[in-house]
Amino acid sequence: MSIHAFISPVFLQELKLRHFRCFETLRCELEEGMTVFVGDNAQGKTSILESACILLRLQSPRTTSLQEVIRFEERSFAVEGELDDTRLQIGYSQSRRKLVVDGETQSRSGDYLARSGVLVWMANDDLDLVRRGGERRRKFLDFMGSQLYPAYRPALRSYEQALRRRNHIFKRDPKIDWNQVDAYTELLVEHGQVLLALRAEMVEALEPLAAEAQTRVSGENDNLGLQYLPSSRDAELGEAYAASREEELRKRVTVVGPHRDDLVLMVHGRPADAFASEGQQRTVALAMKLGQAALLRQRRGDDPILMVDDIFGELDKERRNALMQALPAGSQKLVTTTHLDWLQDFEPDAIFRVADGGIATESP
Amino acid sequence: MDAAADDSFEKQNAVHKVEYPPEIKTLIGNLKRLPGIGPRSAERIAVWLLKAGSEAVGDLAEALTQAQARVAPCQICGFFATEEICAICGDESRRGESLCIVEEATDILPLERTGAYRGLYHTLGGRISPLDNIGPEDLNLEGLWKRLHEGGFEEVILAVGSDVEGEATAHYLAHSLESYGVKITRLAQGLPAGGGLEAADDLTLFRALEGRTRVGEG
Ligand SMILES: [Zn+2]
Repeated sequence: MSIHAFISPVFLQELKLRHFRCFETLRCELEEGMTVFVGDNAQGKTSILESACILLRLQSPRTTSLQEVIRFEERSFAVEGELDDTRLQIGYSQSRRKLVVDGETQSRSGDYLARSGVLVWMANDDLDLVRRGGERRRKFLDFMGSQLYPAYRPALRSYEQALRRRNHIFKRDPKIDWNQVDAYTELLVEHGQVLLALRAEMVEALEPLAAEAQTRVSGENDNLGLQYLPSSRDAELGEAYAASREEELRKRVTVVGPHRDDLVLMVHGRPADAFASEGQQRTVALAMKLGQAALLRQRRGDDPILMVDDIFGELDKERRNALMQALPAGSQKLVTTTHLDWLQDFEPDAIFRVADGGIATESP
Repeated sequence: MDAAADDSFEKQNAVHKVEYPPEIKTLIGNLKRLPGIGPRSAERIAVWLLKAGSEAVGDLAEALTQAQARVAPCQICGFFATEEICAICGDESRRGESLCIVEEATDILPLERTGAYRGLYHTLGGRISPLDNIGPEDLNLEGLWKRLHEGGFEEVILAVGSDVEGEATAHYLAHSLESYGVKITRLAQGLPAGGGLEAADDLTLFRALEGRTRVGEG
């Protein structure tokens, strides 16, 4: 029996929102294949996808603070959904976060996430992955790492907490007491090592899958290569901190560690941001997301849900068809678009029109 | 109901807003300052006290006065004491070679209940927390250095919390203690005892795997 016999798509069947962004309340039934949300800009299409992302992964691709998605003049939001046979619920207010799986409140987010599904978020600004600074690529790695390894998220959170305190001391104290700073250095090393190990493993596993997707989409062999570049280079993390003291005293900030890591994307062995054509860059961005989907499928045994925000309508027919073909066939797809002209070539299973804080079914 | 009567009732109600007498308001205000007591609970407790009768209230007042007057931190370790020195520090049968460092005096009781520890304690009175502007100088460290200088301790156990504040405090202390030539240990933070692997959090499990120990030849 092939391993594929065990792979089942994750299927988010129902989605209910309350006080989420522009929506007072919203309920919709999603389809197993492709569900399309059509509407003008700023009507809330992307917010629907975002709510599904928060429900599944407890984080948003659009903001780092969940406080921001609470509807204007409300004090909390809630999202609820039926994922395969599991009922997921998140409620959030400034003072409290409540996570519920099948009616049972979960005190630890790890327990909640273990019962949830995986997803890949694709959007127009994915091109920033190639063109912009390392922050975008770290976010990419962090989002994927949190879905692949249960230890990733807690390690990242502990690292960030220690980093914040360490930087606070640098800013606060004119004269640095290194004994106090190093109490946090040790925490950075401890948690940073977990992140380094998992990021290296993840990039190694992702490279062939992303390269394969690149070839499939571009139709030629671009030789996409990924190189994980820790800011500590080859040094032990602890040594890297020890070697940065002078620079830290000067800049009054932690200058080395996983929060400064990067991932170099290469086409034919040369950095894609400087040497690839715009067309190649666009394909690289896409290949990274398709590679992510393939890796999640390989490791988790589930086809991830694909959330495709405002991409299809912007492409010409040829690229659109190529992209559609490159998407994993088994995945549930949630797609937003501003117009429906392009849809005639495909067969969406449901179309919702999004306007004025509500949705209405439109026949496909 | 008679419409006119109803109307006058409304009017009266609007003019004389009925409230608790000032004595009760003061009582509620004081109760609200207690940790974990919100406005509703404060109100409930105040009303209960009024109904409880003078004897119960007198007992409570007396208990508060006595506790306040007679209990003070132990001069040596910081635990609750009615003499200069607490019951633990005064116990001749306790071994003086190990010293267990805790954040708060209340942390000592759960450790004592285990019955597994017969050494002495030292209370820090907090933990390092730069975001709350609490630094090492705000903790009872002078007393700790003094005790260690006087000598006799072979082991210092760091029994502080496992969140980022506790961890940082432990690292700071471990560093500062290096020059005293004592063995420094931390409460084991491995897999929870008595629980299966599913009870461990993900990061603990990951570390436990990374730092696994060899149990046999082969
Ligand atoms: Zn004492």
